[in-house]
Amino acid sequence: MQRRDRGVAQSLGGPLTKRVKESRVLLVGAGGIGCELLKNLVCCGFGSYQSALPTEDGTETSPAASHVRKAEVVVIDLDTIDLSNLNRQFLFRKQHIKKPKAFVAKETASQFNPSVAIDAQHASIFDSTYNVEFFEGFDIVFNALDNLAARRHVNKMCLAADVPLVESGTTGFMGQVQAIKKGVTECYDCNPKPVQKSFPICTIRSTPSQPIHCIVWAKSYLFPELFGTSEEDSADMAVTEGDNAEEVAKLKEEAEALKKVRRMMGKSEFAQEVFNKVFHDDIERLRSMTEMWQSRKPPEPLSFQSLSEGPSIVKQGQTLALQDQRAWTLLENISVFCYSLETLSNRVQGGENVIEFDKDDKDTLDFVTSAANLRSHVFGIPLHSEWEIKQMAGNIIPAIATSNALTASLCVMEAFKILRSQPAKANALAEPTANNHIPTKAQSTAIGKPEELLGGSKMVFLTSKNTDRLITSQPLVGPKADCPVCSPVYAKLAISEERAETLKALVDLLKRTVGYKDFSMTTEAGIIYDPDLEDNLQKPLSELGITGQSNGFITVTDDSDEPKVDLVLSTTIRRSPVDDAEATGLQITPKKIELPLKPEAAYANGDMDGDAEPEPVFASSAGAKRKRETEEEVESAKKRAKSDVYVVEDDGAILLDD
Amino acid sequence: MSLTQARLQEERKQWRKDHPFGFVARPAKTSAGTLDLKKWDCAIPGKDKTIWEGGLFKLEVQFPEGKFIPPLFHPNVYPSGTVCLSILNEEEGWKPAITIKEILLGIQMLLDEVNPESPAQAEAYNLYKKDRAAYEKKVKMVVKDNPAP
Repeated sequence: MQRRDRGVAQSLGGPLTKRVKESRVLLVGAGGIGCELLKNLVCCGFGSYQSALPTEDGTETSPAASHVRKAEVVVIDLDTIDLSNLNRQFLFRKQHIKKPKAFVAKETASQFNPSVAIDAQHASIFDSTYNVEFFEGFDIVFNALDNLAARRHVNKMCLAADVPLVESGTTGFMGQVQAIKKGVTECYDCNPKPVQKSFPICTIRSTPSQPIHCIVWAKSYLFPELFGTSEEDSADMAVTEGDNAEEVAKLKEEAEALKKVRRMMGKSEFAQEVFNKVFHDDIERLRSMTEMWQSRKPPEPLSFQSLSEGPSIVKQGQTLALQDQRAWTLLENISVFCYSLETLSNRVQGGENVIEFDKDDKDTLDFVTSAANLRSHVFGIPLHSEWEIKQMAGNIIPAIATSNALTASLCVMEAFKILRSQPAKANALAEPTANNHIPTKAQSTAIGKPEELLGGSKMVFLTSKNTDRLITSQPLVGPKADCPVCSPVYAKLAISEERAETLKALVDLLKRTVGYKDFSMTTEAGIIYDPDLEDNLQKPLSELGITGQSNGFITVTDDSDEPKVDLVLSTTIRRSPVDDAEATGLQITPKKIELPLKPEAAYANGDMDGDAEPEPVFASSAGAKRKRETEEEVESAKKRAKSDVYVVEDDGAILLDD
Repeated sequence: MSLTQARLQEERKQWRKDHPFGFVARPAKTSAGTLDLKKWDCAIPGKDKTIWEGGLFKLEVQFPEGKFIPPLFHPNVYPSGTVCLSILNEEEGWKPAITIKEILLGIQMLLDEVNPESPAQAEAYNLYKKDRAAYEKKVKMVVKDNPAP
């Protein structure tokens, strides 16, 4: 045993250390948490078992060889390194800026433990190469992501591949780690996530009351209107005959007015025209709807004329734009507004057809800041500094190195528990088990609590509010019976290499193997089949976007009155000939699929979400009940510890009991 | 399938089974022949015994926004055709339990029961406030131009 492994082996014991070393793990993301996590994985020896098989002789070239599991850490990230990453992503240094994160992370982390095989891939996890089979090749997957879409995607892929996922995230001083396993725990989508705040169109266009309303107006309405592809173009198409003419004329007039203003770009009056349109004329029009202002303070239109002539305003604006820490006065905002409009116009004249708002594009930020502040002034809303507006417009959440480090270390702790609870996979391509993953009611009570099935893994939180403890935990929760993502049964559909099978062949196969009567099928492209949509039946599957080579799914929904749970099919190209004479080249694995009935709440008429609001996940569950449970768990953990070498402590620490 | 998709699929199923008379709501057909669940073509009939009776107004619903195509002459409809309705507004009346059926019925009701508290277009609003007879005349013209089949 190498010296660097000794500490780990003493803490984890021989068997688990072996599992850790032989494991093949996927790390999605090499950013804030990812860098810390990769460092931890490497230092703990994940994927450091080097198979004795010599590969240089090249004798074995069968396609199956590529699927033989190899101990390694695969890290995927699509980003390149930015200066602003360096304060917390410690695998990167100044000379690495602009290089792919995955490659540099591998380069740096390899030095910590050269015996770990790291496979770095500079790619998006949404890439179709990363299909269900790819995910099946891992013992465990770690999410170290910064966005909801990718988290959801990996969550779903792991459910389909039946691979445990360690999901993590931080926000400022807070952090969270959650183990997810199909049929055992709730999945990432079992609880609705707060969607990014959107504002009603009425508030943005007519009645802003907070600074953010004005920022959204400047960023998402005025800016694209002037420098993006204009949405108002569509008003042209709405022409109808007859008495509607007046209305249409008015619409056209409005669109025309903006276009006219847009056409003046590059002329010296441009800024003044824009200003008068949005801060005077439009405001006057709003004011004319008197009833709207009975309970609100009406907006005060601004007039441009009281200001000094163009060139010096622009110059002042340029100087002022550098002072981003204090809120500019009304006049200063007008200066910056003129200056930024001139700069942006010059860029358009210089050949940039479309400019998009980017918080790091100073010209666009100058414009949005000044325009938002001017609108705030019109509506009597406090003004803000450019720095503050940048945070609001760019949705910036502070990222803290220590939160990431703590969270990443908790991820590894959870991974230890999960690994020791899961049997090692001998081969990458495991056949999905029939009715995998859906425990019936009787089963689920029999198999016990989710955390027991995952080696004592818990939901772990990092909090700053609680003064007496920084790290708290909560038992894992079982899957939600009506979760649209993890309640379905996942199976695989193999298509022949020619991909000539029609949708009808698939419909027939499903009727035959699952016993459906009325059902619909949905892909990313929308509904491809339902009892009222038979247009596509004769089309080959490939024409409907089902190629066997994507990472997309086909969701089969039972439309009968007592529906069964959804069936979700991932697709592959068939490797072996079909043994079923009746089949048309299509094959579903597992061959026998028995779908349980959907829980009634999931389809009850007109009340699809129920009235019961889901409990917030972050609910701190202190109190007597909680304590008793904890004690029981520690007790049972201690009992288990008799035969093992570790004790599972309440807060997730693994202690030596050798 | 995402939550949104699952939900919209259920809406489609319920609507197929049962929907109010005269209303239309179906996912738009894409060029590939599939149905786009996020974009629905809808049509709302004017309510009987109101000035809107006999009309059928096309609405394009791109979740979560609804737009009259062409833009409708109505005090609570923006010049672009977008509808301003509290049950469509997340901060006011919107709840996840509200179905497409309820939204369309709500908009049908809004046609005749104007909400003067949140005007959206100056033309219809001002006429509605200042010259009700002219407003009603104009509405009847709109109905004539958008007849129910």
